[in-house]
Amino acid sequence: MAVKEKVVSKEKIVSRDFKEYIRELNPDPGLDETIKGLSPEKIEKTIKSVLGGKSARIKAVLETCIHCGLCAEACQWYLSNDKDSTYAPVAKMRMTIWEMIKRDGKVDAEFIKQCARIVFTECNICHRCSMYCPYGLDVTFIIGLVRRICFLLGVVPQRQMDQDHAHAAMMNQVWLSQNDWLDTMQWQEEEVGAEFKNLRIPIDKEGAEVMWLPLGAEPKTGTYHIERTAKIMNVAGVDWTVPGKDVWDSSNMPMFIRDFVTMQRIVRGLFENAFRLRIKKLVLTE
Amino acid sequence: MYDFIKDPTLYNLVRGPLVWIAFIVFIGGSIYRVYSFINLAKKDKTIMPFISLKYTLRSLYHWLIPFNSVNWRRRPVITIATFLFHIGLVFTPIFLLSHNILWRESWGITWWTLPEELADIMTLIVILCSVFLFLRRILAPEVKFVTSNSDYLLLFISFAPFMTGFLAYHQLLLVHKTMVILHILFGEIMLIAIPFTRLVHMFYFFLTRSFMGSQFALWHSRDW
Repeated sequence: MAVKEKVVSKEKIVSRDFKEYIRELNPDPGLDETIKGLSPEKIEKTIKSVLGGKSARIKAVLETCIHCGLCAEACQWYLSNDKDSTYAPVAKMRMTIWEMIKRDGKVDAEFIKQCARIVFTECNICHRCSMYCPYGLDVTFIIGLVRRICFLLGVVPQRQMDQDHAHAAMMNQVWLSQNDWLDTMQWQEEEVGAEFKNLRIPIDKEGAEVMWLPLGAEPKTGTYHIERTAKIMNVAGVDWTVPGKDVWDSSNMPMFIRDFVTMQRIVRGLFENAFRLRIKKLVLTE
Repeated sequence: MYDFIKDPTLYNLVRGPLVWIAFIVFIGGSIYRVYSFINLAKKDKTIMPFISLKYTLRSLYHWLIPFNSVNWRRRPVITIATFLFHIGLVFTPIFLLSHNILWRESWGITWWTLPEELADIMTLIVILCSVFLFLRRILAPEVKFVTSNSDYLLLFISFAPFMTGFLAYHQLLLVHKTMVILHILFGEIMLIAIPFTRLVHMFYFFLTRSFMGSQFALWHSRDW
């Protein structure tokens, strides 16, 4: 029997500003809906507030980059997209920040949407391009600035914005309440008890050597991680504890979309938990 | 300078006042750019506390020597071209015999000179590498996409003094004196352009490498 091949061809769109930038249509309410409320004045003001009064780190990149394209081969996006030149790190700068500066911040909402797509969904801020750049320029810092502009304008992919909101409201990315968190820890302690005698998951143990801070997903969907960590800590004989109060989620999602306020709240919260219990070392998942 | 006042011809202009202007702008402008850049960097809390001399030198050691970093090894043709281009660009004008004679005539100072044949070959290499870099700008898609008019202009600014110098030395194309005037003029344009265009990477290279070298050391990672 002949197997019928089902070819799903997605609609391709050519960018209005750059003929080379061709992508599949990828609807995202975080980008498509949010740009409707943007006015040119607001965009200009936001861009100038972030880029105006250029700091040394911005200047270093903009005034040194000689557009040689040697960073291209560093980028996993470039390599895994058949060396499409629009995925090169320097191309991402050209399509976002260079254009913003060239037009003195006078760009429209459609352009911001395109910028958001480039900086949020086509760059992982891994810094590999800085390893390949002969000058060691901090390209990812520039990408981060454009993310900051997009965040301030509210143009962020919905999934990432939701994680940010979860952090802002609950101090973890999975909407887990403090009750659930403590309950999960005690439940896991019971689970491990079947295999290990007298194994404890110490909550809020003052003066412990190590405080373990999981990722949000671990108590939510990957509880076996907690079980395994407890076993490892127990066998290794580590004097450890987990915080009984918020903040315990070490995955700082707001950092990725450059929401500095929430980002700082999380880091501060983690350290305050450590100070409160006089912890010597923090151990983070990942 | 006196020659120009006595006899204000184009040759005496480019040979007299414009040389002074070019060197003052080049040296003063470069010092100003580097000084103000470092001052600006001091205002940023995330730069100066992390700069380390050891890792700066390590970073420079890996990137100033051909084939001493991963990307130099991965792109051998570009590595050879860019190193030959930059060595010729910087050292040929400084150690050229004719330039040395000019220094001696004006100020009575001399230093080492390159053999004339070698200087000629180095000039030719700079010209050929310029052509290579130009072709790369047109032909390589990742470079073409990010190339603007300013890039061609910068390439031309560094190419022109060498092309005219080469033609003047071999007395080709134009009358010798006209070509020399053009050569001096392009040389002065290049000197003036260095502090105020992206050619300033001549100095910023050391600063940005210092930052990234120290930064990667902080992350316990290599930067080559």
